[in-house]
This record gives sequence, C-alpha cells and structure tokens, in this order.
Amino acid sequence: MGLNIRVIAPDRIVWNAKAEEVILPTSTGQLGILSGHAPLLTALDIGVMRVRITNTWTSIVLFGGFAEVENDEILILVNGAEEASVINLDKANKELIESSSLLNEAKTNKEKFEATQKLRKAKARVQAANTLTNQSIY
Amino acid sequence: MFSEVAFLLNSFYSGKALRGQEGTCFAFGCRRHRSCFTYRTLRHTTCVPRVLNVDMDGKLVTIRSRISSIKNTQKITEAMRLVAAAKVRRAQEAVLSTRPFSENLQKVLGGLILRLKKELVDLPLLKERTPHTLVLVVITGDRGLCGSYNSYIIKRTENRLAELKKEGINAELVCIGAKGYQFFKRRGYPIRKYLRVGQSPTAESATEISEYLLAEFLSGEVDRVELLYTRFVSLISSQPSIRTLLPLNPSGLESKGDEIFQLRTRGGKFQLERSQIPGSEPRDFPRDMIFEQDPLQILSAILPLYLNGQILRTLQESFASELASRMSAMSSASDNAKELAKTLTLELNRARQAAITQELAEIVGAASALQ
Repeated sequence: MGLNIRVIAPDRIVWNAKAEEVILPTSTGQLGILSGHAPLLTALDIGVMRVRITNTWTSIVLFGGFAEVENDEILILVNGAEEASVINLDKANKELIESSSLLNEAKTNKEKFEATQKLRKAKARVQAANTLTNQSIY
Repeated sequence: MFSEVAFLLNSFYSGKALRGQEGTCFAFGCRRHRSCFTYRTLRHTTCVPRVLNVDMDGKLVTIRSRISSIKNTQKITEAMRLVAAAKVRRAQEAVLSTRPFSENLQKVLGGLILRLKKELVDLPLLKERTPHTLVLVVITGDRGLCGSYNSYIIKRTENRLAELKKEGINAELVCIGAKGYQFFKRRGYPIRKYLRVGQSPTAESATEISEYLLAEFLSGEVDRVELLYTRFVSLISSQPSIRTLLPLNPSGLESKGDEIFQLRTRGGKFQLERSQIPGSEPRDFPRDMIFEQDPLQILSAILPLYLNGQILRTLQESFASELASRMSAMSSASDNAKELAKTLTLELNRARQAAITQELAEIVGAASALQ
C-alpha cells in the first residue's frame, strides 16, 4: 500500500514514484494526503510539496497547477517544478530580497502582479532549500 | 561559423565574383531576380547556370580560387543541412515529451468543463472584451539562412497590423526571436516587449511568456492577445498561422485531436511521417469527488497551465519549421554550389586549353616568322 505520485511539467515528467505521504501546497492551505484518501481535485499554489518515502522527506517546489487524487493515484500537473536538491540557498535568499524590494516599488497593477509571482516563487525556493538543510519540518 | 558562411556566400554571390555581366545574377544564371540569397535558394533551384563569361587571357588562377571557395562553401552549407536535420529530430522528440502533460491536462480540463458548462462565462480568462489594445505575439527565429521562414511570418504580421489599423484597434507587438525584433524595431513599429527563447524552446521560456501575457491580460492593460507562429506542415512546407491566445475560447478547450510528426530516414533520405492522435476523452469524475476549492477556482488555476502548454507547443512547432526551412535552404545551396563548381571546372578546362592553343599558335607563328 502506498501512494503513486506523478508530477508532470509541460516538457517532462518530474517525478514518478511511490510514497507513503504527501503534503500539497493547495491554494487554500497545506493539504496532507495518506493512502486511501477520497477522490479529490484541488488547485495548487506556488509552494513546496513534501513527499515522505518511508521515513525521509523530500521537497519539490511547484509553480502552480492542480492535483487530482483517486485510488491512491496522485496526478500533479504544474507549470514548472524544481527539486530541492538543485536549489542554491544563497541564490534563493538573494532572489527573495530582490523580489520583495521589487514589490515595494511596484506601482501599476501589472507590476504588482509580476512582483508577487516572483516573490512567491522565491519564498517557495528558500523554504524548500531550508527543509533540505535541516531535515525536520514544522 | 555562421558569420563565416554568410561572408563566403556574400563574397561569391557579390558582383565581384561575376564581374563583367550586367544585372549581376545571384541565381547562378537567372536574370529575373535580384541579389537575394533567399530567393535564389527557394525559387531558382531549377535554374540552369549560364555559361560564365570568363576572360580567356590568363584568368586560370581566378577560376581555380573561385572553385576552391565554392567547394568550401558547399561543405559548410552541407554541414548546416545535416545539423538542421539532426535538430529537427530533437525538436520532434521534444514535442513527444510534452504528450503526457497535454493528455492528462485535456482529460481533467474536459471533465471540469463538462461539469461547469453554464458557469464558464464568468471567468476573466474566458471573457471577451472590446479590444482597445491588442497584442500580437510574433514568433520568429534568431538567425537567418533559413529560406523564407522569417520573412513569411513578418509579412503575415504586417498584413495583420494593417488590418487592425483599418479597424482602428491599437496593436502592439511582442517579439519572440531576434529576426522579427530587428525588423520591426528598424521600421518603428510599437514593440511592447522582446523575449528571447534561445537555442531551443523550453518549458521555462514558455512559462515566462505565458506569465507575461497573463499579467498583461489580467491587469486589463491588454484586451486581446493573438499569436503569429509557423505551423509545421512538412519538411518542405510550413504555414504562417494566426490564432487567438487570450481570451481563451471555451469551445476550443474541449478534446481536440493532435498531430505528431516524426522524421525518419528511408534509403538515405529524410522522410517525414505525420500521425493523427485522437483527443483524450474528458475525465469522468467519480460522484463523490471532493473539490477542495470551488470548481471555478480550480478551473482558473488550470487555464494558465493550458495556456502554457499551448505556447510551448507553438514555440516548438515554429522552431521545427525554422529548422526544416533551413534544411531545405541549405540543401539547395549545396546543390547550387555543386552545379556552379561543375560549370566552373568546365570553364577552367576550356580556358586552359585556349591558353595552350594560343601559346602554341604563338610559338608556331613566331617560328614561321623567323624562317
């Protein structure tokens, strides 16, 4: 028993593996899923998805999309994804600072929208990179 | 290497190489068209090279050096053809790798739309607005030497701009690819943004484009987005096409067939196979399906994904068209070079013989004058 998780980006299959537990960054908050979950469809925000395989947690940054759960099959379609192991924490921190100052300076609606998107991505990256360095989450 | 080829091509298509002739002919024998390499490769492959007027008075060295330069160029164009062919193959693999995404997306999207039939109109992404400002996204290549690929799409864009002007709609351009950007910038068209895609289209670049367009559209600065790209029909034919990107058309979202092209080699020749893939059936959600958010909200999270996938697909198709176009342009360039080298070799031999004959005649003449 376990969950079968597939994460698919437009150009590749990011992740296709079995796991015991997954926490999804839905647009209405974190959502944990164990095997035997009822069928579910949810929109995903930009954020970190956490996957537990036996006792190790892995983080993947998702850039918005949706997830479908049915019969222990989890299908996640996203705009883009990055595994935590490929993220550079220093770079991500720098991006975070840059994008938050960008948001402060934004004047038009469009600039605000773009800056917010950027900020959220940077936040998710930092979060994922942090969970990698200190394995305990929460 | 690219500039080198252009240089070589220019140097031997230029007036210098074919001096002494009126209306310098760059088609190696055709007087009808002017000095356009593109024209030559496309329209004049059947032109028979005209016998060149080479001066017979000791121009052997000139002809020899021209032959060797042409042969060098031929090697380069041939290499470029092979490179383009290899890249077409890779482009086709890239298209195949987008299949799992688009298939699954279509299933879920179809299912959601079935469920939401009536409520769809309220979504901002689907809402038709009176177009005050319209954006044309133009996908061109970054480089030349690819036949008429760039010029066709540019012409199509100019036509569309003229149409819009007539209707009194303010249109601006978003250029993807350096060629289109250079063209429109030089002519003073309003350019909203220039986006680079690089060597081959990636999901990141598609995301960048779709995020930019979404921001423009959702903030109300742009009321409509149209996309000009090149549809890949076959290796020798591609079609500049136009489609409306935003607002999304709900009827167009439903399952639609897909075409996949595959490049194969048969008997040493490249061959293209196109196959039709039926559209995925809309997903039938179980009745007890939990919608974590309002289905409409979920749909508005899915639509950007759909847009992203569409943009990636058109980028890939345009890219494949560019490569195919380059492939055929380079193959006719190689053929022409071959033909020209042949003619010049003939000419060289004739000139050599003439020189020998003349020399002999002179010697005989001199000898008889001495007697």
